[in-house]
Amino acid sequence: MPYKKAEQKFSGKINVCEIGVGDAAISIGGENSLPFLGTEGFKTAVGIAISDVTDEWSDCFGTIYGDDLKNPAALAKAAVEKSGADFLLIKLESADPNGADNSVDNCVATAVAVEAAINVPLVVEGCKNAEKDAKLLEKVAQALEGKNVVLFSAVEDNYKTIGAAGGMAYGQKVSAESAVDINLAKQLNILLTQLGVKSKDIIMDVGTAAAGYGFEYVASTMDRIRLAALGQNDEALQMPIITNVSNEAWGVKEAVSTLEDAPEWGDQEARGIGMEVTTASACVVGGSNAIIVRHPESAKAIKSLVAGIIG
Amino acid sequence: MSKFMVIGERIHCISPAIRQAFADRNPEPILLRAKEQLEAGADYLDLNIGPAERGGEELMQWGVKLLQENFDNVPIALDTANMKAIEAGIQVYNRSKGKPIVNSADAGDRIEYVDLAAANDAMVIALCSAEGVPANNDERIMYCSQLLERGMERGMEPTDLWFDPLFIVIKGMQDQLVDVLEAIQMITDMGLLTTGGLSNVSNGAPKHIRPLLDCAVLAMAMQCGFSSAIVNPCDKRLRETIVACDIIKNNILYADSVLEF
Repeated sequence: MPYKKAEQKFSGKINVCEIGVGDAAISIGGENSLPFLGTEGFKTAVGIAISDVTDEWSDCFGTIYGDDLKNPAALAKAAVEKSGADFLLIKLESADPNGADNSVDNCVATAVAVEAAINVPLVVEGCKNAEKDAKLLEKVAQALEGKNVVLFSAVEDNYKTIGAAGGMAYGQKVSAESAVDINLAKQLNILLTQLGVKSKDIIMDVGTAAAGYGFEYVASTMDRIRLAALGQNDEALQMPIITNVSNEAWGVKEAVSTLEDAPEWGDQEARGIGMEVTTASACVVGGSNAIIVRHPESAKAIKSLVAGIIG
Repeated sequence: MSKFMVIGERIHCISPAIRQAFADRNPEPILLRAKEQLEAGADYLDLNIGPAERGGEELMQWGVKLLQENFDNVPIALDTANMKAIEAGIQVYNRSKGKPIVNSADAGDRIEYVDLAAANDAMVIALCSAEGVPANNDERIMYCSQLLERGMERGMEPTDLWFDPLFIVIKGMQDQLVDVLEAIQMITDMGLLTTGGLSNVSNGAPKHIRPLLDCAVLAMAMQCGFSSAIVNPCDKRLRETIVACDIIKNNILYADSVLEF
């Protein structure tokens, strides 16, 4: 019998979402197959993460960035240059009411300075306090109007403010955070769409875990979301996926323990990069359209992985 | 599993308003019903122009173009006893959103509708009957096999034939309804797709009872593998039953606002 190649065709397609403006703009999504299995559209964008609070960061980042570590705009510029990343994420961690409780105005100024310092698209992450992030990301959206940034991220408790400000009033992209919960991922997309945010302006932040720390839930969540989007043509799940692995990967003991704590584990920086690259590559093959890491070497490794798979 | 496919039945020449609209080539009533059905979640629209012995070809082309031009190339089931009209409709049909469906063939006088579908790379609704309602499931499966063979001989994919087991009316033939459900299960077990006109089940029952019967039989049929139906998608209770069953069968992903999307 002649060989007949069985090809699974999907009726659905992932939306194309453009972030940034002008020559620096990038597109994510657009594929009509599972990751890397189709003939078109799948090229994961790689982002580099910085924060306005880097006190807790591993010592290796002091070596890489020096004094820039304390100056978000300088750090942003250096991070993009050293990593070759396609975009940058600034986390406005100082806004956290349970931390430095920096004012919204100060944080917005930081975001504006960072945007001006780089020539790649920007993702602005809040401090993960829903109430503060609503105020903060609303003002960020306003201050950066016309820059087409990603507001990272809207959650169930603040999607109305962030969706209305970002997705509608100031024409930004809205990331919807669902913390490894497939039903919530769909629900948030429905709610944002009902609010009036266009599907193509929504990106899904479905969450992650560091490799080895419950990552199988992340993998099955991404699988399920992609199969529903493609196979069941579920329009409420056809948004591109953005994943920030940096906080998780650099927060586990393999990355945090110093050489003195665990001499048998070897170089701390290499361990951190290892955790980050392992986690990020698993997300990439799981379907993340944009992946965010902290270490410039991690960004380079993932870029080379993606280029290698695409061929 | 893919989700349940809804074919909207409301553009039907049995409705006086639609019949008049066809006669006058008046788009408004037809577009209105198309819009209502699509907003209610119809995947396909049935376009029933009746026997259309005279002028059927031109009428079907007019109807297909009207619907597809106004609703982003919505896929259509071309429904008439006039084969030439179906063929004419397919000539102007845009396939970007799905193949046309020929509605319908049977294993008797209308077996050539399978040939028509095969020759035009269309799908076909295949009634598991030759004359009237089949007496039992032996007959249903025999007709199903005949229709399947006919299609495959002419190069069709088995999944391009949608088998209609013929729902029977509860008032009068109540004892045979479980046979229909069993037939759906048998056809599904053969790896084939099914469809059917559901509203026949409750024909003649009081208005407040009909939705109850329709929803119950639909849910039971879906459990047996029923993959699509020709229904009124504007029937809210029925629509909600389909969504609920699709969720329970894991055909669509659950979300709290699933009914609102």
